[in-house]
Amino acid sequence: MDLWAWVLLLGLTGILAGLLGSLTGLGGAVVVIPVLIVGFGASFPVAAGAGLITILVTSSTTGATYVRDYLTDLRIGMFFEIATVPGAIIGASATVLLTHASLDDALLVALGIVLLAIIPGSLRRRNEELPAGVVPDRRSQRLGLVGEYHDQATDRDVRYAAAETSPALGVMFGAGIVSGMFGIGAGVFKVLALDHYLRLPMKVSTATSNFMMGVTAAAGAGVLLAAGYVNPLIAAPAAMGTALGAYSGSRLLPGLRNRTVRLILIPVVAVLGAETILRGVGLP
Amino acid sequence: MTGSDPSASSRLPFRRRLPVDARRYMAWVLRAGLLVSIALLAGGIAAYVARHPGGTVREILATNPIAGYLSLGGLAHGIADGSPEAILTLGILVIVVTPIVRVASGFYYFERGGERTMSMVTLTVLLLLLLGLLVLGPLVR
Repeated sequence: MDLWAWVLLLGLTGILAGLLGSLTGLGGAVVVIPVLIVGFGASFPVAAGAGLITILVTSSTTGATYVRDYLTDLRIGMFFEIATVPGAIIGASATVLLTHASLDDALLVALGIVLLAIIPGSLRRRNEELPAGVVPDRRSQRLGLVGEYHDQATDRDVRYAAAETSPALGVMFGAGIVSGMFGIGAGVFKVLALDHYLRLPMKVSTATSNFMMGVTAAAGAGVLLAAGYVNPLIAAPAAMGTALGAYSGSRLLPGLRNRTVRLILIPVVAVLGAETILRGVGLP
Repeated sequence: MTGSDPSASSRLPFRRRLPVDARRYMAWVLRAGLLVSIALLAGGIAAYVARHPGGTVREILATNPIAGYLSLGGLAHGIADGSPEAILTLGILVIVVTPIVRVASGFYYFERGGERTMSMVTLTVLLLLLLGLLVLGPLVR
């Protein structure tokens, strides 16, 4: 394949990844990694390294907009990074060591299972617009984990407070491990913690997840970069497309309803999860 | 309207807020890091393809072109020589470092506001990020 065609194809893949990643809090690597592995035959850690770079781009692109628009909760995001970052470092180190042991296919199957496992939770919450009956726990009160934003879709000021911070910390640690290990943002796990345990509005969860993903991905990318698994000739075209797609998504999200965001997410994850498992077990 | 609970946030003993300039500065850090990185990556890709007109995707997938540029000395030498691979490496480093700078700025604002717990959390995150980048990566290589 001609190198310019390669750049163009990866750039288009990045646009799709950035658009979906910015809207759903997914990060976009779940699009880039399977395309690199299934479409171009890249090895798992190299694809994971490129995936983490696209997450960093999505996070910075959307962060610049969502932080300014008060959709990102800075305090909550930065507090829970205490759980995601050590998880990501452990996960990325494990990926390098497992690859040394030639367990690439096992990693692919595990990634596919992780992707499919998030679908039931998303289906259960598909009709929820805003959570109700939230009681902030003691840690939330002590640290002031509360906020408000203006919802463009409903033209209302929405106030919120974080609820169960302890289980959320556990899920965030797991999200960090998954992120570092598989090169994905594990945004769905972060959104799960923010949405299900902390009971934040979905759009705040999505924006804060995108914000946090940059730091989680930096932790994992640092390990993979130093270990030699970040190839910029693969990551750069995808990153450029991702920036364009994520910018478009960040302009769209404030005007969307939470239900719409969930409906975009579910089929994408189902297809990619199934495809990755098939690849891992050696089927075309 | 209150999304979570009409009285939830008003029941809290206080409502801490980061100063507005913290929000502006962090948004600026993210935007600046992104733009610099994308410019370097775009320039590096264009220069690489121009220098390797007969290059193939198979070669790209089989090699790690930045292996010689992961040390500060190697990177500086490559940039001085105008190496496309070194420019690409710098672009990758900028996008990796951008959120780390954002965490450092969070530490500054929490420390300035006298929020000891949050400043310790952000400092710990910052140290862990540097540990992963500078120590663990080379160790597991």
